[in-house]
Amino acid sequence: MTQTETTCLRPSSTQDVADIIMDAAAAGQTLAITGNGTRQGFGNPVTASRTLELGGLDQVAFYEPEDLVIRAGVGLTLDELEHMLAQKSQYLPFEPPRYTGLYGTDGRRSTLGGAVATALSGPRRILCGAVRDFVLGVEGVNGQGDVFKAGGRTMKNVTGYDLSKLVTGACGTLAALTSITLKVLPAPRAELTLVVPAGTLEDDRALFEKIRALPLGVSGLARRVAADECCEVVIRVEGTIPGVAGNRQVLEGLLPTPPRVAEQEESRALWQDIRELSCLAPRADELVWRVNLPATAMPVFVDEARRAGCISRFFVDWAGGVVFSTMRGVQPEVDALRYRKMAEKIGARAMLLRAPDPIRSQFGAFPPVAAGVAALERRTRAAFDPAGIFNPGRMTVQA
Amino acid sequence: MQMPEPSQAIMNQRDALAVALRQIVGQEWVISDEAERRPYQCDGITAYMAMPLLVVLPGSAAEVQQILRLCHEKGVKVVPRGSGTSLSGGALPLEDGILLVTSRLCNVLEVDAANRVARVQPGVPNIKISEAVQHLGLCYMPDPSSQLISTIGGNVAENAGGVHCLKYGVTANHILGLEAVLMTGEILHLGGAYLGAAEGELDLMGVLTGSEGLLAMVTEIAVRLEPVPEVARVISMSFPSVEEACACVGAIVGAGIIPAGLEFMDRKVLDAVSVLIRETFDSSTAALLLCELDGTAVEVDALVDVVSDVARAQGAIETKVSTTEEERQRIWSSRKLAFSAIGKLCPDYYCTDGTIPRNKLPEVLNKMADMSVKYGLDYANCFHAGDGNLHPIIMYDAAKPGDLEKAEAFGADVLIACVDAGGVLSGEHGVGVEKRDLMTHQFTEIDLNQQQMVKCAFDPAELLNPGKVFPTACRCAEFGRMHVRNGAVRFPDIPRF
Ligand SMILES: Cc1cc2nc3c(=O)[nH]c(=O)nc-3n(C[C@H](O)[C@H](O)[C@H](O)COP(=O)(O)OP(=O)(O)OC[C@H]3O[C@@H](n4cnc5c(N)ncnc54)[C@H](O)[C@@H]3O)c2cc1C
Repeated sequence: MTQTETTCLRPSSTQDVADIIMDAAAAGQTLAITGNGTRQGFGNPVTASRTLELGGLDQVAFYEPEDLVIRAGVGLTLDELEHMLAQKSQYLPFEPPRYTGLYGTDGRRSTLGGAVATALSGPRRILCGAVRDFVLGVEGVNGQGDVFKAGGRTMKNVTGYDLSKLVTGACGTLAALTSITLKVLPAPRAELTLVVPAGTLEDDRALFEKIRALPLGVSGLARRVAADECCEVVIRVEGTIPGVAGNRQVLEGLLPTPPRVAEQEESRALWQDIRELSCLAPRADELVWRVNLPATAMPVFVDEARRAGCISRFFVDWAGGVVFSTMRGVQPEVDALRYRKMAEKIGARAMLLRAPDPIRSQFGAFPPVAAGVAALERRTRAAFDPAGIFNPGRMTVQA
Repeated sequence: MQMPEPSQAIMNQRDALAVALRQIVGQEWVISDEAERRPYQCDGITAYMAMPLLVVLPGSAAEVQQILRLCHEKGVKVVPRGSGTSLSGGALPLEDGILLVTSRLCNVLEVDAANRVARVQPGVPNIKISEAVQHLGLCYMPDPSSQLISTIGGNVAENAGGVHCLKYGVTANHILGLEAVLMTGEILHLGGAYLGAAEGELDLMGVLTGSEGLLAMVTEIAVRLEPVPEVARVISMSFPSVEEACACVGAIVGAGIIPAGLEFMDRKVLDAVSVLIRETFDSSTAALLLCELDGTAVEVDALVDVVSDVARAQGAIETKVSTTEEERQRIWSSRKLAFSAIGKLCPDYYCTDGTIPRNKLPEVLNKMADMSVKYGLDYANCFHAGDGNLHPIIMYDAAKPGDLEKAEAFGADVLIACVDAGGVLSGEHGVGVEKRDLMTHQFTEIDLNQQQMVKCAFDPAELLNPGKVFPTACRCAEFGRMHVRNGAVRFPDIPRF
């Protein structure tokens, strides 16, 4: 999507956002909602009359470490946010990826709002939950220019509908979020990662299952391509220093070969690479996929997809529950359809993480949902944005 | 507390409706006899009662679908019900509506240990899930105190919490997929039976969770299973003042520790339970904290030391750490018995569940003491301190004229104080009818309208559990045509129930 300077609006207050939206609604104009625009490649391409860039709403309203809560404008960058938390030995457990390498944008400018709107959760998902599990409250502006709030700042809250969850992952199609209240957690004091050579996919999946069955609080379980192009299984443990040492011993007993151990900084860098999908190293002309599936179905699915030429390079995260892959199809249009069909057959969800605009427009970045759910999604969108002025087409393929 | 006026026209159709419903679920599963309907008159709040038009017990999602379709056609209201333990009146029947009870939908459908998921029907009592997977070393984490009785469907509808949700999260964090039936009878599948099955969908599952039966009838749930922690130990910490106990809550979290549970009991509760457990508490103890730590043995040992040090630094008189499972259970028994112990002190009690930022605990607790004087009613405090979820127990005597009203007013004042302290009306019990009319204190008209618009997307006829959660009807038809400006008063003329 290309926009000229004059059609990009960058307000610095919630009231300005509301005014812009009210004007746009009155004028029958559509708006592309962005943070700092670092993830325009995610979801379907949007064509809109103007761009509403919310990166200017970057104030921290409050941060109360002892209450594990922070509220900030959606424009606060994830880097700033994480830096601030780190100073109090806290962190965002959902490990939001930036996908700098993937989209060729400046990940340092990725915003909190973008992280919540795209709801991409990192490797710690298997232990700690997803982005939605940490969003306590939001403030936003609906498609009629009304400023509303939902949720709150307390850890528990069953007061009215949980609209905070609904807007999380809605890719800005429901509301222009202006501020977000997050639950944060104390950062683990110690971490380390055990690395062993990968076996067959089924061996590795079985190992994942065995490890996850134990109450060790393992916070990362992936199978990735290492620098030397060999595959390896990586296992992350976090916690207190004695706790981590104890878990290491237990895990070493389960592994087929003695592991290499990556401690602290090295472990951190390793998981950052996984979070950012670095080991996929997609070529410019390759499509990038993410498939969520039952871990038990992963080995067969990957083998078949490779044989069918739908997967060229891949790695597995979430203990086998997600496969990231590249596609080098001669005819990506044909292969994209085939791959998605293969996923659908086993109830998996294939998301097109990166592809040229025409392909995403044609197939939809998100896997299609059943007709009834799609209709309810449509009605729900209309409940926020009756005229459909926000991010038209971002999540749905227009008929 | 006012409910929408029942429709005489609908009530007149009772017999015909019973016949039609019996054709769907079978003769015996529609309860029309008045004496048999009586046990369903209220949920966990006995102060609010109404006789349901009919009680219907479906045996499958397909039956639920047909029932809802029929009721939708005939304009009959429907109130979903699990075990009826709701403490906010969410399952309070309507005289012109049927009560749709899930007790026959009580099967664990599938346990998939490898993917750590179980698929269950909504009428399964919470504890049954953990029991069904115990032999695998797994459990379902959310553990409301009512877990022996309350159903997973009710838990989803109320987004139930529990003692362990400080560390493990509430119901919403453990649901991977839902099957739900809209009022029109349309069946929806949201998410699925694996982690990440809902990625890329609008989070309709998230908004259904905690929607108190107003959006759809949940007919199947895929829940996350977790390995049972290797060990759990509890530390009992006594403090000479409420303030010091509260400060200790913040200090523990501030030390980078998220306990599995962190519970608070005041002196009145301790005195009440000491009779039951035949144990006395040191006379200088004004408040007790119970802090549970779980994980691997090594990890827990390390944390026990840190928490004990923090407690002492915060002025704890005494700290006791459980060394055996038996001892842990004994220490917890005081907390588990708290409500029944208070029940022995007074004819009736009333408990709300406002939630506040942890650092506002002393402030709000002090305000409660003033309110007690104002209303001339005694109260006690026993609550989930770790997540700031208050459960003030207000003691009254329903036989005394005016006492219930005073207790309700006291409760409402506490909730208002919670909202004013930056908190919310309900942490885990839901709004129901009990807190319905206070919603305008927490939310602006615009906030509430936005929520009600979502209701209109799910149930535009407003037949599913009406009169709950929102102080006014939705008027979905008007919303559809409306175009109003920011800040304008939207419905100055809407009658309150
Ligand atoms: C002694 C006691 C202790 C408690 N402790 C806790 C606690 O620790 N934590 C906590 O969170 N709560 C607690 N509660 C409150 C209560 O147990 C919970 O709210 C519970 O989730 C209600 O479950 P239920 O099956 O009894 O639902 P019900 O009371 O029958 O219904 C509750 C609500 O859910 C709706 N509903 C029920 N089933 C469905 C369905 N299948 N689809 C759609 N809507 C449905 C109903 O319409 C109603 O609005 C306690 C209650 C008691 C009496």
